[in-house]
Amino acid sequence: MSLSLKKTYTIILILAIFMIIVGFWNPNALMNGLQRGSLYALIALPLALVLGILGVLNLAHGEFLTVGFYFIYMLNTRFGMDPLVSIIPTIIFLAILGGIIYYLTVRKVVNKGHLSQLLITFGVSLVLMEVVNIIWTSQARNVYTQYAYASTEIGGFRFGTYELIYILSAVAVLVGLQLFLKKTRLGQATFAVGQNPKGAKIVGINVEYVYLFVFSLAIAILGIVAGTMLPRTAIFPAVGNPFTLKSFALSAMAGLGNLNGILFAGILLGIGESAINYMPNYSGWSDIVFFGVLIIVIIARSYKGAK
Amino acid sequence: MKRYLLIVLLLIIAFTLPLYADAYIMSVFNTILVFMALGLSWDMMLRTGQLSFGTAGFFGLGAYASVLIVANMGFNPVLSLFIGAAFSGLIAFALGFIVLRLRGIYFAITTLALTHVFSVIIRNISDLTGGASGTQLSTAIFNGNPTKIYYMILIIALFTILLSEIFSRSRIHYAINSIRNDETTAKSSGIDVFKYLLFVFVVTSAIQGLVGAAYAQQYAFVNPESTFSLNFLLLPLAMALVGGIYSTNGPIIGALILGLISEYLKLIMPYGHLVVYGLIIIVVVLFLPQGVYTPIKNKLLKSSIVGGDSNAQT
Repeated sequence: MSLSLKKTYTIILILAIFMIIVGFWNPNALMNGLQRGSLYALIALPLALVLGILGVLNLAHGEFLTVGFYFIYMLNTRFGMDPLVSIIPTIIFLAILGGIIYYLTVRKVVNKGHLSQLLITFGVSLVLMEVVNIIWTSQARNVYTQYAYASTEIGGFRFGTYELIYILSAVAVLVGLQLFLKKTRLGQATFAVGQNPKGAKIVGINVEYVYLFVFSLAIAILGIVAGTMLPRTAIFPAVGNPFTLKSFALSAMAGLGNLNGILFAGILLGIGESAINYMPNYSGWSDIVFFGVLIIVIIARSYKGAK
Repeated sequence: MKRYLLIVLLLIIAFTLPLYADAYIMSVFNTILVFMALGLSWDMMLRTGQLSFGTAGFFGLGAYASVLIVANMGFNPVLSLFIGAAFSGLIAFALGFIVLRLRGIYFAITTLALTHVFSVIIRNISDLTGGASGTQLSTAIFNGNPTKIYYMILIIALFTILLSEIFSRSRIHYAINSIRNDETTAKSSGIDVFKYLLFVFVVTSAIQGLVGAAYAQQYAFVNPESTFSLNFLLLPLAMALVGGIYSTNGPIIGALILGLISEYLKLIMPYGHLVVYGLIIIVVVLFLPQGVYTPIKNKLLKSSIVGGDSNAQT
């Protein structure tokens, strides 16, 4: 885990140039990309946390988000709770669910090879998705709120204000995580475990407990994502699935454990995706941005590592 | 001796199935055989220590190549199966030079990302592929004759089994096993690691392309959603795991067990029967890392006086 800003200078530079170009070409694409990118980063942060500390790529990441969505949907339809208010119970619910699932499954493969880790989280993702499918069926659902469609105008340029909440939450979660890792005792212990689990054990840190805590925390953060996203998203059992791979793409691009880099990488790819989306006749290609970048980054890293 | 008797018996049952089974039973076995071949090909790659998530991608490429060449150029459908296999193999050969440098989760994730890239590309070159709605052929292979289709898929599955046996019996398996166990040692004892990985990657991808082509020709239809469906990755993977990885018999037994179970579950549980697959994967990884085949075989070997061959995978 490295928390320094130095590594991210290149990304910031590329990002700035890119933002200016897209901004001149089409301000809508820039705004949309900024909002979309922050959302991707917000979802990727917890995945990167688990990957950095536990060394486990959680393939069920997106499915935990799906479960969060449906939990909020249930609170909304049963008790009429506002999605943004229900973030609080959802965080608690997801933290407990994440803790239980960690304890039952992931805990047993943390020290084993990649194969077991990928397969078991993959199994968890299948179970979560299918349980949602059994309870709520595959019919798409959504929650309507008035405020989610508000918009504002600055100098003749009109944009939705609600999505700005993604940028705010992404920055808030990032700052919160950094403060936690640097300032609190548990955070410093977490940081130590991420760097060297054996060493951390020797100096008396309860590594098992830190793992459990980090996994729970990561899943709990998804409650924030679910609450902010739901007013603008139609949900179905596979809704969270594509975010797992996208989150991994961002973590790989930013470099393992570089939490700040994830925000910048997320915004970069978000703007890239939205720019392609705004090009007439080429909008279908926007899905390729993440996967293409993911493949290029992984392969470039492998060449760099070989030297 | 008993072993050969069993194999011959199973072969007789497999080849005479159309004589006494109806079209429904045959279609169930078609599906099982398709996933069996995919599971075996996935396992053959895994034996080198590389976890590939690209099964669905090469399956889809083969399916598309075969259907498009029949639809646009009027090729013979049977011939197009080989084109499908060759196309997947060729793409795997080209990509192999890049992706086979990767290890562990990076190889797994890159192959998974490639599957998505294939499907996005195919969806967007709609002049050639028909875009999101896909391409339909006027008639299925052999005019949809279920017996002939069954034999076609059976032969492909048997061919895959044969290939897998060759892989685990010929000299190449020493190289493959040593790469899996310790790549550095393998390299230092003179094994050209990359050459073997590339060879296995191309062969297994070609099999996946062949199976994809046969599957698509059976339904005379391809579209990006269903042809690149992750089911063609998940189900074979679960089957190989349940039966037992690193062996030929494992995926075969796993495909039979899970194929029959899921067919039954589909009848009683229209929504979310895949939850059983997820639970099976978790239980197998946690409690039965060797699958069901090896523990049962070891028990049988211990109880019987006949020692049997001891080429069990360790």
